[in-house]
Amino acid sequence: MTGSSDVRKKALLACILFAFWVIFTATVALYDLVLGAICSAFVAALTVALLGRALDPRITPMVLLRLPVFMVRLVWEIIKANYDVAKIILNPRLPIDPRIVEYRTYLPDDLPRTVFSDSITLTPGTVTVELEGDVLNVHCLCPYHEEGLAGLEKLVAWLFGVKRDG
Amino acid sequence: MDDFLTVIALIVSLNAVICLYRAAVGPTTQDRLLGVNIVGTKTLVVVVLITFIQAESFFLDVAMVYALLLFVVTVALSRYLEAEGWKEAG
Amino acid sequence: MAKDIVAGVLCCVGTFFFLLGTTGLLRMPDIFTRLHPSTKCDTLGACSIIIGLAVYSGWSWEMPKLVVIACFLLLSSATCGHAIGRSALRRDIGYWRRKGTEVEDGDGA
Repeated sequence: MTGSSDVRKKALLACILFAFWVIFTATVALYDLVLGAICSAFVAALTVALLGRALDPRITPMVLLRLPVFMVRLVWEIIKANYDVAKIILNPRLPIDPRIVEYRTYLPDDLPRTVFSDSITLTPGTVTVELEGDVLNVHCLCPYHEEGLAGLEKLVAWLFGVKRDG
Repeated sequence: MDDFLTVIALIVSLNAVICLYRAAVGPTTQDRLLGVNIVGTKTLVVVVLITFIQAESFFLDVAMVYALLLFVVTVALSRYLEAEGWKEAG
Repeated sequence: MAKDIVAGVLCCVGTFFFLLGTTGLLRMPDIFTRLHPSTKCDTLGACSIIIGLAVYSGWSWEMPKLVVIACFLLLSSATCGHAIGRSALRRDIGYWRRKGTEVEDGDGA
């Protein structure tokens, strides 16, 4: 069991490394492709213990399929966030009332939580300043910005196929 | 299009110079770090613009390495600053 | 031609957001509020300029590299903001409150 999953991990890692090789060398000549395949297989075999952690078991084909939709929603949120921050910055009175709120998330595991906290940082008026276990300390620019968090959490939960229990 | 990109690059560089104010004056060390991070992002964009102004694609690799270094520097310095027993200079 | 127009508009939008980020960085009263314009406006500004240039370059070998840089920036600037904010929080740098609201500080309640 461990052996086969290790081989699968190595193959996946080698494929990712090879994709980056093709992007960075910017040629599709046979010599470069063969050299790249050899190099990426070699590097994948050497560094699977180090980089294998990046291949989280939560990244399933379903997540990859849902990722483009998630990205589009996220970019839309980012544009809204920028409009919001632009309004605040360009207002001569600087109408801010910042506070740090604690938010307890139901998302399990590190990866969904990391994605959630990164998304919070990129969406209107909120910046994650600490992530400890399932408690996020979120700095809000205005009190009404806090309301956007639950919707964002739902979006991340949908991306990873997490159901809320209780 | 080249002139247009040059103008954009000039505006972005000017922005970076203004951001240096925060890096030089910033009351706390974290402010300075933030200023340096912002200047770095702007430099990255200028490097990407230079790729197209000069039509030399190797600048893109420079930009890529610059982005990676910027990330590592910022995270490493902020981890260092949050350690206990570190005194604010000045 | 249409390609050039799209690229030009994206570059202008990016420059505008960079200016906005700079303004925010200079105007905001403390480190936590400065994180907001710097993470949001800078990310969108840089990404829209880079994506604009990707559109301008068309189907060439520059495009995937630019897309990789843009994706990396999207990830890294949020993480950088988080790291700086956390170090400020751990160093107990107090955060700015609007005058008169300090009293009803109820620890996130």
